[in-house]
Amino acid sequence: MRNLRFAYHMQLTFELPAFHHHFTVRCEPATDERQHILTEEITIYPKHFDSRQVDSFGNHCIYGIANDAHNYFAVDVSGEAKVENTPRVPALPSHRIGMFRYASELTKAGKKVTELLEAASFSSDWGMLSAVSKATACMNCLYDSYRYEPGVTGIDTTAENALELGVGVCQDYAHILLALCRAESIPCRYIVGMMMGEGASHAWIEVYEDGFWTGLDPTHNRLIDDNYIKISCGRDAKDCQINQGVFAGGGKQKQEIRVSVREA
Amino acid sequence: METGELYRYSDMVNELLARYGVKFGIYKNNTFKEQLFPFDMIPRVIGKEEFAYLERGLKQRVAALNEFIKDIYSEKKIIRDGVVPEEFVYAGSGYLAQCEGVLPPKGVYSHISGIDLVQGKDGTWYILEDNLRIPSGASYPMIARDLCRKSSPATFEKNHIEDNRNYAQLLRQTFDYVNTGGHTVILTPGRYNAAYFEHSYLAEQTGAHLATGSELIVEDEHLYFIDYSGKKEKVGAVYRRISDEYLDPMNFRPESVIGIPHIYDIYRKGNVALLNAPGNGVADDKGIYYFVPKMIKYYLGEDAILNNAPTYLPYYEEDMNYVLEHFDTLVLKDVAEAGGYGVVFGSKMTKEEKEKFLALLKAEPRRFIAQEVIDFLDIDIYESEQRVPRKADLRAFVLMADEPVVWKSGLTRFSRNPDSFIVNSSQGGGFKDTWVLSE
Repeated sequence: MRNLRFAYHMQLTFELPAFHHHFTVRCEPATDERQHILTEEITIYPKHFDSRQVDSFGNHCIYGIANDAHNYFAVDVSGEAKVENTPRVPALPSHRIGMFRYASELTKAGKKVTELLEAASFSSDWGMLSAVSKATACMNCLYDSYRYEPGVTGIDTTAENALELGVGVCQDYAHILLALCRAESIPCRYIVGMMMGEGASHAWIEVYEDGFWTGLDPTHNRLIDDNYIKISCGRDAKDCQINQGVFAGGGKQKQEIRVSVREA
Repeated sequence: METGELYRYSDMVNELLARYGVKFGIYKNNTFKEQLFPFDMIPRVIGKEEFAYLERGLKQRVAALNEFIKDIYSEKKIIRDGVVPEEFVYAGSGYLAQCEGVLPPKGVYSHISGIDLVQGKDGTWYILEDNLRIPSGASYPMIARDLCRKSSPATFEKNHIEDNRNYAQLLRQTFDYVNTGGHTVILTPGRYNAAYFEHSYLAEQTGAHLATGSELIVEDEHLYFIDYSGKKEKVGAVYRRISDEYLDPMNFRPESVIGIPHIYDIYRKGNVALLNAPGNGVADDKGIYYFVPKMIKYYLGEDAILNNAPTYLPYYEEDMNYVLEHFDTLVLKDVAEAGGYGVVFGSKMTKEEKEKFLALLKAEPRRFIAQEVIDFLDIDIYESEQRVPRKADLRAFVLMADEPVVWKSGLTRFSRNPDSFIVNSSQGGGFKDTWVLSE
């Protein structure tokens, strides 16, 4: 168990002023059995009004509108969390598990994913393995055959395309592992979060078994531990975009994300 | 039935319908074309007793479908109890995860249901399809009846026909029952939509505002209609005639420009009613259709009053074997398609087509349903001054306020092609008025 201080900063800079800007941000880590959010502070600039709600995946959302012209839109979240040293968290409610068993738009298994699954499931006792063991075997296999390289894939890249390209970032690792697990009918979900150190936000997955979600980080080929703070979850990256917006004007835009997590 | 006088006005009524804009817009090869929706003067006539039977069956069906949608987006007891396999829910295109845990105002999901029926040669009625998303068509028999009444008042004096002019009133009651406080708006994608005539006609008839997404805005947790002077008026109910995917770019397809940002967020909080509820597609999928009689038993503890067309689900091995053995006598439907597309008759396939289809069926059994071909009862239409028989179906409208009410009329669609069973307007069919007798 550790106490972590986290700070998340997202800034969208517009080339031309933006206005009538509707936004939804999913950037608020919530307390669960694994992570206890002790303090938290959120600021959004600019805003005309904001409201809160919890979406169907359990994510805390802040949504609203910024009507007046603005050159940038910024979200800052900071606080302190007490995180248990376990990858597991109880899965509730049970009737919200089924939807994670089926391939989503970005996690459909094609030829490449099927081939990788065949390579991962060669052992004779495969059918006897638990869901987490199967997912771990898939993760190992993926880690050996895939390489981390930013700038090649994009936010809409599917698991199948990412695997075909052979390189990608944490989002792609997570999507491929989800596609592998779902091809095996294992319920699993995409997680957006932060991990120890300085950098960008991170993505990993959780696999369901016997009433618990277990976190696996395919980019680092390991189970998650008390270095990880979860922000949101969904069927794939589309369900947990940290920032979504619709606005007039704006021109070209540039997004910058800075995350820092350190021991408190 | 004394109808002779009425038929003399056929050309005049059709001309007036065209002038009122009773048209059907379709997109073909990326161009928008409007075509007339031909009206045939010979009505479909349903007797009082017979309609009372349909009414009981339709109310029962819609009540069960509403329970099903409520259950699917909450506890999913019907999956847990093994009545409906979960893949038919989650892998279908109509299921929307965003609707999980959202209870619409007063628990009503399917406010306006369009249930398609056909009558077999032996007189038996069968349910062909449930339409619970945004079923269109009620406006056509409404305006046609109005014009027929004006051209031949005597016909309606001599025959005892249920007045169908109450649709607007029923619709208004449906709106008001769920309205959370404020105006009622009919949300249209605009005049290039296939059913734009209907949107404007129903707005006029019910007294609701007709609006496009750009005239509506979410602020301070409520929806507002911005009128011509810029004044904001609160909205409590939206009869939206745009599909779920385009309703709200913040919650569904982000590229939608016809939706209203955040409308779904305030709906989730109970601050506005959306008719019909988003996510209803989970219950009107062709794969789910098979399970509706089981749903009626499960939720209401009753046997279904109205039958489904005999349907086989290749997903079950037993049914797959039946389908393979009786392939030439069946019609096969792709569950993901609508509007008469993706429907193939076993008997009409060439050898190669059949082989190709069977391979697909075996690879993706969940994607298809197979049905016995029902020999529909033909209905006469006038074609070049001659009465000729044609295949026809009936779309019945069931409106749900505190309880389901069946409109005593309906849209009868017919195929203009003598060899075709496909009556969809998008495939060039025409329509008739539906008379329900009051004596």
